[in-house]
Amino acid sequence: MAKREPSINTENFTAVQLMELDSCSRCGECVNWCPTYDASGKNPGLAPRDKILRWKEFMNKSYGLRARLFGPKEISAEEIEQFKNDVYGCTTCGMCATVCESAINTVELWESMRANLVKRGNGPYGKQGMFLKLIGEYKNPYMADNKDRTNWFPKDIKVEDKAEVLYFGGCTAELRQRKLALATARVLNKLGIKFTMLGEDEICCGSALVRTGQYFINDTAKINAQKNIDNIEAKGAKIVLYACAGCYRASLIDWPRLTGKELPFKVVHITEFLQDLIKKGEIKWEKSIDKKVTYHDPCHLGRHVGVFEPPRAVLEAIPGIEFVEMERIKENQRCCGAGGGVKAGLPDLALGVASTRVEDALATNADILSSACPFCKRNLSDGRDAIGAKELEVEDVIVLVAEAMGIDLSDTPAE
Amino acid sequence: MEYFAGVSEALRLTFVQIMIISILSVGIFVVGMYINLKKWGMGSTGYGQAPSKSILTFPKTLMYQMNEHAHVHNQSVLKTFVFDILFQRRILQRSPVRWFMHFTIFVGWMTLFAMSGAMFFVEMTHMIGEKLGYAESLPWFMNPEVFRELLSTPNDIFSYILLVGIIIAIYRRLFVAKTRESTIAYDSILLIGLTVITVTGFIADGIRNNTIWNGVINFDWTIPMTNIALSLHYGDPIFPFTYAPPAALFHVIISLLFCIAYIPFSKYIHIIAIPLALLANKGGE
Repeated sequence: MAKREPSINTENFTAVQLMELDSCSRCGECVNWCPTYDASGKNPGLAPRDKILRWKEFMNKSYGLRARLFGPKEISAEEIEQFKNDVYGCTTCGMCATVCESAINTVELWESMRANLVKRGNGPYGKQGMFLKLIGEYKNPYMADNKDRTNWFPKDIKVEDKAEVLYFGGCTAELRQRKLALATARVLNKLGIKFTMLGEDEICCGSALVRTGQYFINDTAKINAQKNIDNIEAKGAKIVLYACAGCYRASLIDWPRLTGKELPFKVVHITEFLQDLIKKGEIKWEKSIDKKVTYHDPCHLGRHVGVFEPPRAVLEAIPGIEFVEMERIKENQRCCGAGGGVKAGLPDLALGVASTRVEDALATNADILSSACPFCKRNLSDGRDAIGAKELEVEDVIVLVAEAMGIDLSDTPAE
Repeated sequence: MEYFAGVSEALRLTFVQIMIISILSVGIFVVGMYINLKKWGMGSTGYGQAPSKSILTFPKTLMYQMNEHAHVHNQSVLKTFVFDILFQRRILQRSPVRWFMHFTIFVGWMTLFAMSGAMFFVEMTHMIGEKLGYAESLPWFMNPEVFRELLSTPNDIFSYILLVGIIIAIYRRLFVAKTRESTIAYDSILLIGLTVITVTGFIADGIRNNTIWNGVINFDWTIPMTNIALSLHYGDPIFPFTYAPPAALFHVIISLLFCIAYIPFSKYIHIIAIPLALLANKGGE
């Protein structure tokens, strides 16, 4: 009798990742810190430790000793479907990786599991399935005309045709959180930095596709990354500025991996760029912001790549700001809940996580909860509204910088 | 001379028995690790690449990842080895109690394992020396009986260190609600195995040394309690050494099966996988 075929395969996993499944000591530290496990009312299926154990069991049922001797053991479709639901209930914030005593790179493990499940026909989750179609068709996930990325810029904004500095706006800032894109452009103009932008040639950075395990389909993420790189090169840019943590992370880590090549330019977050100018004394503040401000580290800027100090340095340099820290910051920061496709796929879960983070901010008595990512801003604003904390302002660092530099943003067009 | 752990003729375990079990254990371990390497090797050598399904895939990927630049924790292999693998600072950063528990188990376990290996090496060298006629020219400490005595004190020290770690682990599994509730058979087997090995080690050593176990282990219910009390008082064993060889044999067999043969098929695999994961991901604080 022919042996049964394994129910799962190892597509999209690296050999090290398969080994990492065996390195979990089940200490439970990840469970203590997981924001979605917490916000879900401690749903055991969302616990990172549990997900690792389940996939390890799937592997052993399919390729372990017993499977080699007597053939693979069947894993029911329901079991895999349940696993899919649980593995997509993660914002890929990386908190579990930070606290993992075995140093398992969990973020990439979840992404590989997702990609495997997409290939198998189980993933992605809910509305996340639209990302590929939308990005393929519109070059952004918002179904917006790609010409609308920058054609709304007021006339005073000077964007060069070619320059050494390029501002990669990102879909959310250019098409939804426009105040942020406008603030960045006006701050650069006021500082006398000649910069260029891709405009309608800009394509989604691919973060949504990578995080939800859809990057390999039709090589969309790879093709888009290469097009962005080529377009940036064509603009003569040596430094690419990002005010979006998701785009920054995608460019810095995902683009070189997808294309298999080193980037021909330097990837810099706007707060890093500003910190450098502040050190040189090149920023002139015109207005004092007499408010208590706290800062939320975006996962993609902080834990994923280690940029913790520049946003703080910028906020602390702004006149009048009383900077206060929340209890969980930097490596141990609590996620805003929007990442990993959760905002699109499981909005209630995203809102639950955001509400908890807003409560962290309220505990500091801050007037402003700032961040350095438009996607964090959006979800934190939703979280604030959900718990009715209207007294708390949610604003991006770059907008506060613009305000302190005396820049008027009142002409920001509606989304 | 019959060899094993330098014990006397009266207490010997047969060399053949132990060698067969040792070879069997190592054989099972090798087969298990081969299966694991095959399983790990079913992954790809890099991000987004197709699975290569070769037994060499894992070592290749590991080497590649160790040499790759990391955006966070981009530290050297030596630093990872010392701070993260040996000192286990990632555990310390999270929970000093759990670190103490894990560290005592790790230090106790690894040192006892290393000392067993050293004892075996001395015995083998001496035995071969006797056959080939160079045993007399070996340094004084290369005599198995002398070497065993040299190891006696560190053996006791590290056994107690291991025991302390195990007691904390058992306490946590039984009395710390969060830990108890999350405990599954996968975790329990590891701890039960470790406990059985350690306890049998103490019993075997106690009987052999005829010290702390004198007259107690050889308890015979038919003997009047007064005689037992006298026996304990005067240190006169009732049935000296009766159970020493089988106790030692049981301890050694169960140690070999649990500590070597069972590693690839159980949670014990973390002993191998965690250092590899730390190296691959560059450890870090």
